[in-house]
Amino acid sequence: MTHLPYIVAAYALAVLVPAAYGLAAMRRLRLARSRLAALDPRPARREARR
Amino acid sequence: MTRKRRRLYWLLACGLGVGSAAALALSAFRDNLVFFVLPSDLAAQHPGPDRTLRLGGLVAEGSVMRGSEDGHPLARFRITDGRDAVPVTFSGILPDLFREGQGVVALGTLGRDGVFHAAEVLAKHDETYMPKDVAEALKQKGLWNPKAGPPPPASTWNTLAPAKAGAATKAGG
Amino acid sequence: MTAESSASPGGFEMAPGAAMFRSVDALSSLAAPVPPKAPGRGLHRFANPGRFLRLAGALQPWLTAGGLILTAAGLVWGLVFAPADWQQGDAVRIMYVHVPAAWLASAGYLALAVCSVLSLVWRHPLADLAAAEIGPVGAAFTGICLATGSLWGKPMWGAWWVWDARLTSVLVLFFLYLGHIALIRAFDDPTRGYRAGAILALVGVVNLPIIKFSVDWWNTLHQPATISLTGAPSMYLGMLWPLALTALGYTLVFAALVTARTRAAVMERRIRALLMAAAAREDGAVQVAA
Repeated sequence: MTHLPYIVAAYALAVLVPAAYGLAAMRRLRLARSRLAALDPRPARREARR
Repeated sequence: MTRKRRRLYWLLACGLGVGSAAALALSAFRDNLVFFVLPSDLAAQHPGPDRTLRLGGLVAEGSVMRGSEDGHPLARFRITDGRDAVPVTFSGILPDLFREGQGVVALGTLGRDGVFHAAEVLAKHDETYMPKDVAEALKQKGLWNPKAGPPPPASTWNTLAPAKAGAATKAGG
Repeated sequence: MTAESSASPGGFEMAPGAAMFRSVDALSSLAAPVPPKAPGRGLHRFANPGRFLRLAGALQPWLTAGGLILTAAGLVWGLVFAPADWQQGDAVRIMYVHVPAAWLASAGYLALAVCSVLSLVWRHPLADLAAAEIGPVGAAFTGICLATGSLWGKPMWGAWWVWDARLTSVLVLFFLYLGHIALIRAFDDPTRGYRAGAILALVGVVNLPIIKFSVDWWNTLHQPATISLTGAPSMYLGMLWPLALTALGYTLVFAALVTARTRAAVMERRIRALLMAAAAREDGAVQVAA
């Protein structure tokens, strides 16, 4: 394959950057969810009222 | 409702203003926005021997002579835009895509003798993409000479079935 | 009910008329002049954070899975199975990442502009959050476009970078994204940040047609568009399919990233509002005790 280093570098960038963003988003989502669940017991209360 | 409408009209008016300002600015700087000048531009007006500029066009067919001078590779060729042609000398390594019929952009100065002394040559490839066997097929059938110019319209070849390609099945459709 | 609440993220869900949260949320954006409208009308239907979270949560796995599968398929096809170009050789394979990233850079900015209009004209609260989350993702894709373009330009043109109109206008797009990211977070009052960011984003829209038509209006080193709405693509079909796959896959990945980030942002805003409400309650209790 000609120009292999350039191709590998381009594909690595194109895969790794979105992957890093995806992992960061996943962590952020998980953290927000757990903090919110700890703060906001309302759904549980409403559930109990029924 | 009226408030939203007022904000919308405001926004549209501002958009119109920004858009026309940008259009005016772009047309005012039109000459500075071009990346290169064409051989016919140089033929119309000599820029002066001290002015560094970029010259763009196709490498004229049959004009390339590669030699060496003091151990450095030296290439001579002509850059043409179909109307005028400018002889170019360049001492250095030409890009891989350099060939006759290829678009190139050379950075350098135009001497008083009308020869363009390039310090840098960039290859400008076109927007067509085709596999080697399709290009070969076009050349063999006499439909295209890459040294003479761009390939024929894409609709004539982009479904052309080469020896073994994934889209071979599409060729019938 | 149980099925619905278990499907919602984190096991909580928001009834459309949950007035308590609404009033608490208003604390976090005191400067918002327009009070929340009744739910269920037009665009503001999706302003209800609970409904947005449910919808986005349901959409998320499809976006993520679709994006991953299509992108992976397109990249492997482009890297291994697609034919090499007759003159560029294998370097043409960089196209399969460069071109979709370039499209997404512009399309993402268009999405940012739409959110900005929704924010400025209709004061849509979700559009504010979405705009703040589109910025970094769009900047990342613009960065990928610039970097892969550089990696393509060096072996083919012979230069990492040239200041032609196409490359320069995309660099301007990158700076617009960066400016938006900085500006929208630059104020203590988030609402002012949203307004300023929206105005910057809309002024920058003028750059989008410049990017698109730069290769037609001026002579550039960058080649003109291969794929147009009017004519046949000047590309062999065996190269067009992997490009279409990666483009679609990248679009879904972009959407998945923005959706995930916006969901997190909605939850974070609610966390802030709840914390402020708790602090206010404590203050009130102290005053009553004194």
